[in-house]
Amino acid sequence: MKTYSIDPITRLEGHGKIEIFCADDGDVENVYFQVPELRGFEKFLEGRPVEEVSQIVTKICGVCSGCHHMAAGKATDAVFGVRPTPTAVKLRELFLMAHYVHSHIAHFYALAAPDFVVGPTAPPAERNILGVIAKVGIEIGTEVLKQRRIAQEIQALLGGHQTHVVMNTPGGVRKGLTEAQRKDIEEKAKGFIEFAKFSLKIFNDVVLSNKYYVDIILNGPYSLKIYSMGLVDENNKVNFYDGKVRVVDPEGIEHCKYAAEDYRNWVEERVESYSYLKYPYLKQVGWKGFVEGKNSGVYHATPLARLNVADGMATPLAQEHYEQMYETLGGKPVHATLAMHWARLVELLYASERALELVQDKEITCPDIQAELPNVPKEGVGIVEAQRGTLTHHYWTDEKGIITKANIIVGTTNNNAAISMSLKKAAQGLIKKGIIVEEGILNMVEMAFRAYDPCFSCATHSLPGNMPLEVIFRDAKGNITRQVKRN
Amino acid sequence: MNRNKILIHGIGNEILTDDGIGPKLVKRLEGNLSKKEIDFKTAFLGGLELLDYIQGYHTVIFIDAIRTRGGIPGTVYQLSPENFNTTIHLSSVHDVSFLTSVALGKKLGLNMPLFIHIIAVEIVEDRMFDDNFSPQIREKYEEIFNEVKEITESILAINNADIAEN
Repeated sequence: MKTYSIDPITRLEGHGKIEIFCADDGDVENVYFQVPELRGFEKFLEGRPVEEVSQIVTKICGVCSGCHHMAAGKATDAVFGVRPTPTAVKLRELFLMAHYVHSHIAHFYALAAPDFVVGPTAPPAERNILGVIAKVGIEIGTEVLKQRRIAQEIQALLGGHQTHVVMNTPGGVRKGLTEAQRKDIEEKAKGFIEFAKFSLKIFNDVVLSNKYYVDIILNGPYSLKIYSMGLVDENNKVNFYDGKVRVVDPEGIEHCKYAAEDYRNWVEERVESYSYLKYPYLKQVGWKGFVEGKNSGVYHATPLARLNVADGMATPLAQEHYEQMYETLGGKPVHATLAMHWARLVELLYASERALELVQDKEITCPDIQAELPNVPKEGVGIVEAQRGTLTHHYWTDEKGIITKANIIVGTTNNNAAISMSLKKAAQGLIKKGIIVEEGILNMVEMAFRAYDPCFSCATHSLPGNMPLEVIFRDAKGNITRQVKRN
Repeated sequence: MNRNKILIHGIGNEILTDDGIGPKLVKRLEGNLSKKEIDFKTAFLGGLELLDYIQGYHTVIFIDAIRTRGGIPGTVYQLSPENFNTTIHLSSVHDVSFLTSVALGKKLGLNMPLFIHIIAVEIVEDRMFDDNFSPQIREKYEEIFNEVKEITESILAINNADIAEN
């Protein structure tokens, strides 16, 4: 048996490893995906005042910190049984839109575009953001950094800091918006819309106008027929901050639509012996293993999943692109993993338009930003859509508001099973008997994984001299036959 | 607008056991160095994010954690970006490496630092959430601080002349 290892996974937040197990005839038998997950955060929260938690959780992850802050804020509201004032809700959502703009820009231009603009099998030294800029021009590169920075400045203005956010209080936010600040953000949001439209044009010109790429997206080994999950508003339109979680089956039929506090009726978390990362699945369907189809509880919570579960986008331009996407890809739901990149750009446009809507809302500068807290704290769940999936925070407290227990399902964790399955399908489709497995082929396997924009170890960042590495060999039944550790 | 020409930046997550040693050292260095015209920042970020932090400075000193093969906990290394190959992360926005970010900044004509130094401390544990250091790092913390301070002072002394000329 020959084993190919991709380690570390390039352009992935944190450190991970993909192992591809080939049979003697050269075909892929199995693929395992492993990540050394950070441990103990839920335990770390125990014994701390719940009103401090929304600030502490921004240190779970330097990439999704704003999303953790929002989910924690909503969970804390629920602990106190309070609904924030309308202005506070709008300010929080505005922050989240800016967070989406900066994150989706970074993913598209720094992570996704190299595979398409430079080419999936181009040398690694060229297949990066520098290679993209070499192709599209320095002006565009400058604009990418500019729009990203502006989005972060809005986050810092509203949240107190772009990463270590201190915005939310139970039932409100700490700081309101002045008219001068509102006007400034209004102009910036208009710029986001233009840049999102431009990014969609690039996608159209570079990807959709290239038959080879369209063929890879639609007919390549990048398809997974599983359930989709995402938040929707009262009209079943995509919403990142509020609403109910909707799940549709592989045919697009609604499986459930639940409020945050009911998540445990619908989602179960499974543990596999070889990974710290849990494998959430749909409880009512059940865990049937890493298999596709309506009878398997595997789901994904990604930009594409959010569009699959919704009846449309809540803003006009995003709706146009939503319709174009489904028309081009053959109707809903779409199961083409690489279409996540397109969905992400539709979301970028939605976030930009929604930011403009919010900042033009007369209530956004209202001084009423804090609701009263009439109830004794007890238990609460908060859910928002992080860029990488549905993010759930659940806290239990004593009567003084001290955390006694916490449960967090982060965005990428939802997609753990789906990522493993996507990798296996890609490897089986690309690595065949007689094919020389060069770096380009391995990168095309990684593309299946990168589409999810996964973020595992979050804040892990120490300078890598020798990252801990574990190589595991398994037989056909999944039993470990050999284990090699390097440290 | 940066107040000073020198930035000392601690990188790490202060609630991830030893991972937070960079920010904790930087907070202590502030007010403990002979040269006063220095900006101090702490954060756990990297890659593209760092570009926003380092533009406009003449000299940037990063203080971070490191894990090396067979490394002795508490060992302090003085490095420069040239010491690393493409595997460097220095934290990341989706794993765009620090070196890639620096190269990007130069290619786009950003006002990048003339000198970038990295002081790295060999750590033990960076995957478990805890706001205390591991016993090995806790035991050597004073020694680590003094060594980091000494290296920082030496870098500042060398760069002072260059800054004066510019």
